[in-house]
Amino acid sequence: MFDTLLLWPVILPLAGAALAAALHAFPAVQRQVALTTMVLTFGASLFLVDAVMEGAILTKAFGGWMPPFGIVFVADRFSAAMVVISSLLALCALVFAMGDLRQRQVRSGFYPLFLGLMIGVNGAFLTGDIFNLYVWFEVMLIATLGLITLDRTRAQIDGAIKYAVLNLFSTILFLMAVGLLYGATGTLNMADLAVVLPQTEPSAALTLTAMMFLLAFGIKAGFFPMFFWLPASYHTASIIVSAVFAGLLTKVGVYALFRVFTLLFEVDNGTLKPLIAVIAAGTMLFGVFGAAIQWDVRRILSFHIISQIGYIMLGLAVATPLALAGAVFYIIHHIVVKANLFFVAGAIHRATGSFDLRKSGGLMKASPLLAVLFAIPALSLAGIPPLSGFWAKFMVVDASFQGEAAWLAAVALFVGLLTIFSMSKIWIEAFWKEHPRAVRARPVPAVMLVPIAALGIITLAIGFNPEPLVAFSNLAAESMGDRTQLIGAFYGGEHTAGVTP
Amino acid sequence: MWSSEWLILLVGLPFLGSLLTALLPSHSRSAANWLAGAMALACFGIAISAYSSVTDGMVVRHQVEWVPHLGLSLTLRLDGFAWMFSMLITGIGALVILYARYYMSPKDPVVRFYALLLAFMGAMQGLVVSGNIILLAVFWELTSIFSFLLIGYWHHNQAARDGARMALTITGAGGLCLLAGMVLLGQIVGSYDLDVVLQSGDLIRASDLYLPTLLLILAGALTKSAQFPFHFWLPNAMAAPTPVSAYLHSATMVKAGVFLLTRFWPVLSGTDAWFFIVGFAGLSTLLIGAYFAIFQHDLKGLLAYSTISHLGLVTTLLSLGSPLAAVAAIFHMVNHATFKASLFMAAGIIDHEAGTRDMRRLSGLFSFLPITATLAMVASAAMAGVPLLNGFLSKEMFFAETLEQHRASVLDTVTPYVATIAAAFAVTYSIRLIHTVFFGPRASDLPKVPHEPPRWMRLPIELLVLACLVVGTIPGLSIGSYLDTAVVSVLGDATPVYSLSIWHGFNLPLAMSIVALLGGIVLYMALKSYLDWCEEGPPIFRRLKGQRIFERILVAVSWRWARVAERFLGTRRLQPQLRLIVVAAILAGVWAMWGARHLAPQLTISGVDPVLAMMWLVGGGCAVAAAYQAKFHRLAALIFLGVAGLVTCITFVWLSAPDLGVTQLLVEIVTTVLILLGLRWLPKRDDQIERHGFWVRLRRGRDFFIAVIAGAGMALLAYYMMMTPLPPSVGDYYLQHAYSEGGGTNVVNVILVDFRGFDTLGEIVVLAVVALTVFALLRRFRPAEDNSELPYQQREQNEYDSIQRDREVGETLKDYLLVPSVIMRWMFAAITLLAAYLFLRGHDLPGGGFAAGVAMAIGFLLQYLAGGTRWVEERLRIRPVQWIGFGLLAATATGLGSLTVGYPFLTSYFQYTEVPFIGGVPTASALFFDLGVFSLVVGATVLMLVAIAHQSLRAPKARPDRAVAERAAVEQGES
Repeated sequence: MFDTLLLWPVILPLAGAALAAALHAFPAVQRQVALTTMVLTFGASLFLVDAVMEGAILTKAFGGWMPPFGIVFVADRFSAAMVVISSLLALCALVFAMGDLRQRQVRSGFYPLFLGLMIGVNGAFLTGDIFNLYVWFEVMLIATLGLITLDRTRAQIDGAIKYAVLNLFSTILFLMAVGLLYGATGTLNMADLAVVLPQTEPSAALTLTAMMFLLAFGIKAGFFPMFFWLPASYHTASIIVSAVFAGLLTKVGVYALFRVFTLLFEVDNGTLKPLIAVIAAGTMLFGVFGAAIQWDVRRILSFHIISQIGYIMLGLAVATPLALAGAVFYIIHHIVVKANLFFVAGAIHRATGSFDLRKSGGLMKASPLLAVLFAIPALSLAGIPPLSGFWAKFMVVDASFQGEAAWLAAVALFVGLLTIFSMSKIWIEAFWKEHPRAVRARPVPAVMLVPIAALGIITLAIGFNPEPLVAFSNLAAESMGDRTQLIGAFYGGEHTAGVTP
Repeated sequence: MWSSEWLILLVGLPFLGSLLTALLPSHSRSAANWLAGAMALACFGIAISAYSSVTDGMVVRHQVEWVPHLGLSLTLRLDGFAWMFSMLITGIGALVILYARYYMSPKDPVVRFYALLLAFMGAMQGLVVSGNIILLAVFWELTSIFSFLLIGYWHHNQAARDGARMALTITGAGGLCLLAGMVLLGQIVGSYDLDVVLQSGDLIRASDLYLPTLLLILAGALTKSAQFPFHFWLPNAMAAPTPVSAYLHSATMVKAGVFLLTRFWPVLSGTDAWFFIVGFAGLSTLLIGAYFAIFQHDLKGLLAYSTISHLGLVTTLLSLGSPLAAVAAIFHMVNHATFKASLFMAAGIIDHEAGTRDMRRLSGLFSFLPITATLAMVASAAMAGVPLLNGFLSKEMFFAETLEQHRASVLDTVTPYVATIAAAFAVTYSIRLIHTVFFGPRASDLPKVPHEPPRWMRLPIELLVLACLVVGTIPGLSIGSYLDTAVVSVLGDATPVYSLSIWHGFNLPLAMSIVALLGGIVLYMALKSYLDWCEEGPPIFRRLKGQRIFERILVAVSWRWARVAERFLGTRRLQPQLRLIVVAAILAGVWAMWGARHLAPQLTISGVDPVLAMMWLVGGGCAVAAAYQAKFHRLAALIFLGVAGLVTCITFVWLSAPDLGVTQLLVEIVTTVLILLGLRWLPKRDDQIERHGFWVRLRRGRDFFIAVIAGAGMALLAYYMMMTPLPPSVGDYYLQHAYSEGGGTNVVNVILVDFRGFDTLGEIVVLAVVALTVFALLRRFRPAEDNSELPYQQREQNEYDSIQRDREVGETLKDYLLVPSVIMRWMFAAITLLAAYLFLRGHDLPGGGFAAGVAMAIGFLLQYLAGGTRWVEERLRIRPVQWIGFGLLAATATGLGSLTVGYPFLTSYFQYTEVPFIGGVPTASALFFDLGVFSLVVGATVLMLVAIAHQSLRAPKARPDRAVAERAAVEQGES
């Protein structure tokens, strides 16, 4: 069992997707399959995180080929945490879907596509092979495309085309970068690359490869000025899908970026650091400005994803252990909170019949419980203490001050203010204001509130007792920043039993 | 000894009470009130009992570890100063809760009100007893949030919503600055512990970071205490229920700013920067607040500006940097809290009883409410600084301090004059308040007939006014020792000798008081008639409203800047988006190479085979031509694309990769046919596309230029990479071990199904998902209106049939291309055989599951082409989705199979199997994996084919209304 821990977060959704596809004609059975799959996946991910909690780095070479020849999966604290949080989020989304998914969407293949997305996400978090990472990115891209166009409305097709074109561009850059990297080093295994690259002579190709990785993952992560696909597409998808996208997609890009720029390339080499800093600041600012002029809740939230990505990048721009720990903390916090906000947006839509703030209102009176459930993630996103977002912001701001990047801290705080402002806009318009047409709010089914409450409780728990996660993030950042640990895990060989040499 | 654990209760009880109250059913008004009152009283009791432990500079500390990794602990620290504030918070809190019981209307959801009020009390209490400066910032931010929620309590009211949001924005911004300041302070000192910080005054003042730290902390303090130029949120916060105004916006929360200034006074004050910034803010606030207060018509507006002015007074005192001034500041904080809270409550009673707060309508209320009026008069007198009341004492101390020289400068010189003028203004607005509201003719047009409020509603005011009187007459006996406790805890050894007596003899401060008193009376006489009819707001400055400026800035930041940003970067059209990204990529490349020119490679074209180069020129040309034609002539573009694909294919063969060549060829065929089938359903070409205008050419030229730069750069890079010798690579290992370890001589296949089988697994998932997506997209697809009719050719054929007497309609179509279609039908068997052949030989020779699958799919494709959809599906039941499902399951199961025998996932097992008549056949478990690939590829391709083919079966139902509605929705979403 211990030996195969790395496998299940990918193989379970894979089997689930295959089953759901084969059971295309039976929507109810598909739901059972999907729920069971995600429960199992979540359970498996808990085992995984338990196994790496003490600092062990698990590796698994598939096909029995020793690294660097076969494909290797690897889990350290960072990746295991990402797998846990994504699986949890996917489970929440499926529960939410029980109340919000339409029959037509199931027939359009929601379950296989959804599980397909989870294959890609978990695969990307766990792989230790740069080309394999590309494969999981592709799985994600395609599954995402299918999920966006679930309803086949004109707006969705429009969003999907933009999503597809811009992301394909990123994927091509990624593939070319992998090609160049292989050409320069002759290997694809990330730990092997970490060994070989420092010994390789610097060349234009390598410099540009680093830049191409930055761009490719940057587009995925929604960097300034390359984030267009995100606000163009997220709000068109059904809200369950948007929530999962909001939580996971950009974060996979960020995760890849962190891996590549801690393991393969150095941020601290003169040209990259200022560039990443500028990108981080621009991403924070433009995301929050973009949100300011929107009236659609989903669009506001989509733009906030971008600005929050800026905060996470701030961690990479400063690149001290504290900053990286802040980034890890931020990613985990943000996945929970942002997905939850999208769920709440779905509940607001259910209650008022509109995503447009100008057309909704009166929820404070109609549904005080929903108000509380919105307030938790919203305040957390805005960085109000003592919720999870405060600690995340505190860590990155503290790190920027210590890392001689006070201007980044200033930008971060300014953006924090605008985020508060933005959240108060949703609060005032949807909750305080009377409904413009004096319509009675419709009840929100309990299954939709359960995931919102569950994620809210996590937010509160992190907020009131941040110490475990802070400590965890510190350790995760430490092992991420120290490449020898990972290399040692690859070639230590104690978990690669059964290798055919 | 007072146990330090009580501190946790002191902070925690209000929060606990808040939670309990929130859980009460919404109609339990009385229970909520009792619960809240009990909590407040309990905290008050705890605070009282703590007194003996904080006298003489003693400190009670309680520390619980919270986030040690961030240097953050839950340190609660009660000293004399914090004790004094705790008394105000809990004492006035209890009075306000009693008051609110009678104030709140039965229609209001009071449970929420008490819950929020208690939560605020907890936050405020936490703020004053924080022993960790980050914890202080945490509570600080919480008070902002609860203040927001309480101001907007009557959220149906637009003014309440706006006021709440403004207060949140201003104080929230201040809170963030404060947090940054605290982080910096922590960096300077090396600890977030308040005690450590307070002992490091010299270190802090000498630090390079002193000025930014000071500015950030001041930004927090001045916004919270509504100091100029951030004062304007406070009058707008008056939309809150009066108990909230009395509690938050006069007695406690707005004091948090001056509390902070006092708290850090020992370590931050005494520098020029402190003196000038704080002094300027304080003096201008003092004057402006008092001046503005005169011209308010709203009772609460007047009180709000008066609060601003009094806080300015405290700030000014703190700016001076002398210990005596600090004493006066602390004293005035307490005094102001008592008289202002009582005045707010009195204003609330007037509002409650008379139905309005507009001073132009209120008049002669004394006869209606004699007791309330008397109380209000005493409190106003204290506010004006009339002798024998507490306001007088601290004001005298203030005057005395302004006369001292502190730092030779203009600011120091004008201080006494400004102080006197502001005091005169204070007298004026106090008289105005009393005179207009309580005297003069009895108002007759009030919304309600006022009468005295319930006994218990008045009690809080009575107690507070009593405090004003007692402190004002016997200061030494009443407050002396308590004040001393507070002062000692702040100033420590620097505590000066001061006297609280009422009479200091005839001296300059007394003269200033008399001048101010007389001046104020004269000013009121002069202004009286003007004030009865003038507009709201002071003359001259009426138009210069901070609120307006704030809104302007907000609009500029949140709307105009955002629009600009969106115009340049948030474009919603795909082409500019793509252009921006490509340009960004080019710039990033230039950035990376800028300082690294020495890394630029030497390029040479020697050794390039001219034939291959020619072929690539043709292929590249075709690719460019395809891009060029894509918008104007899709079929032509597709043909060009096919040629480019073929060139790729030949290149693979040229470079000795027959396997890739075969696969590429098959894939080319299938994709081209599928796209051709799909072309039929695309909307017709738009003839309106402008081709020749100047701007169009310019735009196209620019885009072409960008594309060429990006493409050429990438091509150069790739070329260079291929010209440099490959370092020892994993590829060599694959070549060596494909047969010995993988059991296959076709290295490509062994890589695909064995070495890197996991990649293949991922890729077939991609293929499956693509097929499912295409299928889902086309499942209920309605083609564009302009091609929903039959194609021209079929119409001609049908027309011909209907004219001919002996032909049925559709007969020509059936016989169309009869011979080729018969041959194509026969081909099915041959192609199936070919697929099987490709599949089986895959492990050793070019072929494999993927190629076989594509070949098999071509077989199905031909059947559809030859016989038509109906013909095929009448004879052949294909369930492509099941093929996909089976393929995925088979591939996964093969991988899992190796687990059951104790090998890692996807480990291949290999042997020669004896098959009768054929002999030894190489069998690898990878073969089953390959079977999965095969099944999936067939399923996926056929699924896409079926999806397209079924279009023609579907009766074309154009639904223009829906299309139009959707388009409108999209446009609306974008505008």
